[in-house]
Amino acid sequence: MSHDDHHAVTIPAPGPEFVDHEVAHHFNTPVQEFQALKLGFWLFLATEILLFGGLFAAYFYYHEMYPETFVLGGKQLDWKLGALNTSVLLLSSWTMVMGVRSAQTSQKKKTLIYLGITVLGAVIFMCIKYMEYSAKNEHGLIEFGHLFDGYNEATGQLPWFTDHDNVMASVPHGHMFFAIYLTMTAIHGIHVIIGAGLIIWIMFGTAKGRFHAGYFLPVDLVGLYWHLVDLIWIFLFPLLYLVP
Amino acid sequence: MSQPHHPDGFGDLDMGHHHVGSSAMFATVLIALLFLTFITVAVAQFDFGSANMLIAMGIAAVKASLVIGFFMHVKWDTAINKIVFMSSFLFLSLLFIFTLADLFTRRLDSEMHITKSPVDKEWVHPNTLPNGGH
Repeated sequence: MSHDDHHAVTIPAPGPEFVDHEVAHHFNTPVQEFQALKLGFWLFLATEILLFGGLFAAYFYYHEMYPETFVLGGKQLDWKLGALNTSVLLLSSWTMVMGVRSAQTSQKKKTLIYLGITVLGAVIFMCIKYMEYSAKNEHGLIEFGHLFDGYNEATGQLPWFTDHDNVMASVPHGHMFFAIYLTMTAIHGIHVIIGAGLIIWIMFGTAKGRFHAGYFLPVDLVGLYWHLVDLIWIFLFPLLYLVP
Repeated sequence: MSQPHHPDGFGDLDMGHHHVGSSAMFATVLIALLFLTFITVAVAQFDFGSANMLIAMGIAAVKASLVIGFFMHVKWDTAINKIVFMSSFLFLSLLFIFTLADLFTRRLDSEMHITKSPVDKEWVHPNTLPNGGH
């Protein structure tokens, strides 16, 4: 297509319940649009891997420094809740991939159902996470009310780590495990919330019939984001709940 | 563009590269992932010493490959997308290699009774302090 010949490239809707997709004017073809946006999204996901990679490096570093602290810290978490959350995320990853598949095959209703269940998975995950955080708060292992208070300069103590029950008294730097646990799971949790928001946004588009066999890129990309969230958790679960 | 594409109708456009995976395949991957989660928990009940970390990370790596390969459709994605995503793991390995190099030299230090911790100031548990650390 020459540049002075400015037809809008349109992908026709496969049925009356769908709408046409108009390719953005700076792309020549739908394939070019698809590949350019997908490449950009993979680049973004690569930066996500590096973000979490830094946290994993910190984990391995301190795990090696204070192995007893990490093993004892891991015992303060409920591995059953961790395993349950792992299963919830794996199941939601499956409903996500089935949602993408339904969009690829122009099955609007099925797409909405699968995406809806995926959001439900995110909600269950965050509820379980909330229960876990509350328990840590109660035991003074992570006191959320004092999270941003400065440390006591005279004693070097952190206001958010009081450990009422002295469960970490036998190991050095007991707070290190919980600092890393909170940082990693909270940043992961933020991703879960953002992911759920994106899926809801995609559901609105699906309801309007924007996604079908000819154009499903946004569903595909949100799916990739959701799988990344699952991918990170696959490593977090054994490292935090079953500290090796 | 050697091949001009007509604005109306996309039958002439190559949309065939989008892989639509079968439901049976995705269900199989899900079952494998749940099974491997069970294995992760089961293996953690035994003490294999330092091998526990390698086993746990090995199983996690298998699970990760299943998610990346099938759920993220990387198996059917273009070479450039595979390279971009996989390169992040290459750079991650650089981070890990240099971090571990530092770690192991510090362990040598500790054997020579030189400070082991980068945050070392005599650490005491909060409740051993007279005012409870506050």
